[in-house]
Amino acid sequence: MKTLLANLTLILVAIVVASGSALAQEDAIEIMKQSHLTYYYAADDGAATVTMTITDKRGKERVKEFIMLRMDEEEGGKQKYYTYFKKPSDISRLTFMVHKIPDGNDLRWIYVPSVDLIKPLSADDKNSSFVGSHFSYEDVSGRHWSEDEHKLLGDSTIDDAPVWIIESVPKDSYKGFARKMSYVDQKNYLPLMERYFSKKDRPIRLFRAEKIEEVDGILTMTVRSIENLKKGGKTVIAFDNIEYNVGMDQSIFTERYLKNPPRKYIK
Amino acid sequence: MNNLIKLGVIGLLVISAATAQADVYIDGFLQNLQGARLDETNPTTTEMTASETRLQMRAEHFGDGAEFFGRLDFIYDGADMSTYEWELREGYTKFRLGQKVDVKLGRQILTWGTGDLIFINDVFAKDYQSFFVGRDDQYLKAPQDAMRIDAYLGLGDFSLAWTPRFTPNRLPTGRKLSYFNGEQIVGDGNEFIVPVPESKFENGEFAARFSRMFGSFNTALYFYKGFYKNPMGAEIVMIEAIPVPIPLYPRLNIYGASIRGPLAGGILWVEGGYYDSRDDEDGDDPLMPNSQASGMIGFERQVASNLTINAQWLAEYMIDHDIYSGQNEVNGMYVRDEVRHMVTSRITKLLMDELLTLSAFVFYSPTDEDGYARFSARYKYSDELTLTAGGNFFDGNHEATEFGQFQRNDNAYVKVTYGF
Repeated sequence: MKTLLANLTLILVAIVVASGSALAQEDAIEIMKQSHLTYYYAADDGAATVTMTITDKRGKERVKEFIMLRMDEEEGGKQKYYTYFKKPSDISRLTFMVHKIPDGNDLRWIYVPSVDLIKPLSADDKNSSFVGSHFSYEDVSGRHWSEDEHKLLGDSTIDDAPVWIIESVPKDSYKGFARKMSYVDQKNYLPLMERYFSKKDRPIRLFRAEKIEEVDGILTMTVRSIENLKKGGKTVIAFDNIEYNVGMDQSIFTERYLKNPPRKYIK
Repeated sequence: MNNLIKLGVIGLLVISAATAQADVYIDGFLQNLQGARLDETNPTTTEMTASETRLQMRAEHFGDGAEFFGRLDFIYDGADMSTYEWELREGYTKFRLGQKVDVKLGRQILTWGTGDLIFINDVFAKDYQSFFVGRDDQYLKAPQDAMRIDAYLGLGDFSLAWTPRFTPNRLPTGRKLSYFNGEQIVGDGNEFIVPVPESKFENGEFAARFSRMFGSFNTALYFYKGFYKNPMGAEIVMIEAIPVPIPLYPRLNIYGASIRGPLAGGILWVEGGYYDSRDDEDGDDPLMPNSQASGMIGFERQVASNLTINAQWLAEYMIDHDIYSGQNEVNGMYVRDEVRHMVTSRITKLLMDELLTLSAFVFYSPTDEDGYARFSARYKYSDELTLTAGGNFFDGNHEATEFGQFQRNDNAYVKVTYGF
């Protein structure tokens, strides 16, 4: 009888623990999903002026300035991005467009006005650098939460803000990282920090939300950075003139506007 | 000196216009290009293929109804004649008619089609003088004074480009780059001056395109009515009772189609066109080009991080080749194959956080037995300063083929660009 009770207790404990960890895993997925939607799918569309400062390992700075438009087709799904470069002078007036397809290959086009050339770009590598910065395409448009296994490791604080610590491991082997630790703000779901690790579990990249502001009632990360911990160098992206829900038209994300930048948003 | 004053005046005008109109946006670059010839047997007098300083000014203004863009180049050329030149590369206004039609009027660069540095349906003017001596990629295209109308309809996009005055390609003239004149490779003293068709409405160029997306594939139909952009024909003119062949641009119509889209992690493109030689419809005029059908297939893929490779295959089938070969054999001239093949490949590698770009582009024709390779290394020292070094190499077993005629023009160059 005693052993039966003991066994029962053990079984009960096992069930509780198992369901508890399953719950934690579900929580982790839910948190990462919420975080992704809050961060990458804020409002239905948005426009902003972006200043990108790339500092190399020797401390030399380069600055790119562009206007970025985004439009969501479905929450957490397809999105369209449009980029118009203003600086530096060798890429000024160049436009760039991405149709993001989370469960497939994105479509990318570039338009070079000096030769009136529209060129589609092969886009099978989401890990490649975004315009020579330390940000990858995926950093800019977001890695879909369903591509990784997530585990809630516990709580902590970053600059006094309580955060969840979540570990993410790619389901399929991925060049970008082998493991990622996200520190997600418990109040607003924005990722305040992300640490990326290599296969050998060495830290390779560090993402930080440098500044969060409220724009049109939407909490927005207006300054963010990525540091390359392996090779050195850091990129800071600052967003200005942010506008949300401007009622952007679908047609902006077509070849017509690639060649004729929409002056309403691009001055 | 007069030119210098003229330049100064133009410069002052541009700057004062800029400051007077606060919402005119100005930028541009200053560039020095030096190129040296690598083949001593070249029949030209200068050893330089380029020695030039170039200032490009770009000005842009957006109004409520229209926008304006201007791109003006000032060049001092020391390789050849020590002259100042200036060229309006672009100068146009762009506006909308209603909601669905865009109009671009003025001097402009025009491009369409799918090929990478090879063209079937894009017969807008090219500048091979620039292309072969290491000027920036933007100089491969020569501007045309044109009106372009793009209509974006539910059915698809319809484009029309009308160039009232025929604009030919810019080809090596013998001054800095030698060429084959039909008998031998020549340089100075053999400048190739070809009269362009008279300035008449019927001698304008019409280029039309209809394009439409099917899924992620862009398909297009093309039509062109104008002239061969290279002087491929000749007429016999009696000069003091002696018949002399004078080169000319023969009439040409093109009917074409293309498709381009993502496939197997890369981009695939297929394009075809029929060159209808209007001045030699039966293919029996020895002074005029024969009609031909051309097809091309290309594929580009990123094969490793920051490494992109593409390959293209072009085949050109000459109609009435038997008549052509009979005529040329009689005259002891080069006879090309009925089907001319060309393969090309471009390899691009980005290094050092995309600051260093290494590029190689090779053209090779197994049927013409000739080829052309261009190499370049470009380093972005800072946002403003770019350093480039490169080379152009030609080879061929026959002096009459497309690249064989330039076989003595091998050159290497260095280029410094300051953007502002």
